[in-house]
Amino acid sequence: MFENIEMMRMARAMGQHVSQRHVLVARNIANADTPGYRAADMQPFAESYRRSAAGDPLRTTSHRHLALPEWSPGAPRAIQAEGPVSPNGNSVSLEEEMVRAAEVKREHELSLGIYRSALDLMRSSLGRR
Amino acid sequence: MTDPISPLRLAASGMRAQSERLRHTAENMANADTPGYRRKLVTFEQAVQFGRSTGEVEAGRMRLDQSPLPRVFDPSHPMANDEGYYEASNVDLVIELADAREAGRSYEANLRMFEQTRQMGASLLDLLRR
Repeated sequence: MFENIEMMRMARAMGQHVSQRHVLVARNIANADTPGYRAADMQPFAESYRRSAAGDPLRTTSHRHLALPEWSPGAPRAIQAEGPVSPNGNSVSLEEEMVRAAEVKREHELSLGIYRSALDLMRSSLGRR
Repeated sequence: MTDPISPLRLAASGMRAQSERLRHTAENMANADTPGYRRKLVTFEQAVQFGRSTGEVEAGRMRLDQSPLPRVFDPSHPMANDEGYYEASNVDLVIELADAREAGRSYEANLRMFEQTRQMGASLLDLLRR
């Protein structure tokens, strides 16, 4: 039932995006010294959001027609992170990855915070606390 | 929302590989003065499972540095040959030190990632506890 609340849907999508990005950052750091490894990153969440919102909306001329939601989280894609490549073909920079890790943490907290305040909103609409 | 298993496993694989590298570096340093000792090298490669790369890293097979051993002139050395030369080890302490420093730095980065994953999982669970 939470799926129908736009705010929660978006927070969930953001959390999914950030968890995938987290995996990529962890993989980059683990492979920081693997020869020939290329660092990967995610497209920003805002971009996947915008991309899916740009699609043609379905027209609803009858109340029995299904309406598309305002947006749907597009499948985020992994992209290659640009950066200098060291002589052994590895393009991971630990400093860059630390910045990404900090971004991941911030985004994760943001999505959790939104989710939590949405829960609070529902709770107070039920008249509790 | 977050799958806590995979990033933890990735960070752990990185730490395992780096500590193996650090172990070989320590062996090299300990044997810097052993005559005839060849420097041990370890390469990193991506772990493959069922033909697909899992993203984890693992230390590959240990190899010996095949660069020529330096010949040292010291007739009083017990291993010296008729001409007074013996073969020393091809360990360069400066290189080993730099290698150890780099391994330690990468290990720390993995450790920090591990810690962050744990924190993120904990804050996710806090949502349930309310």
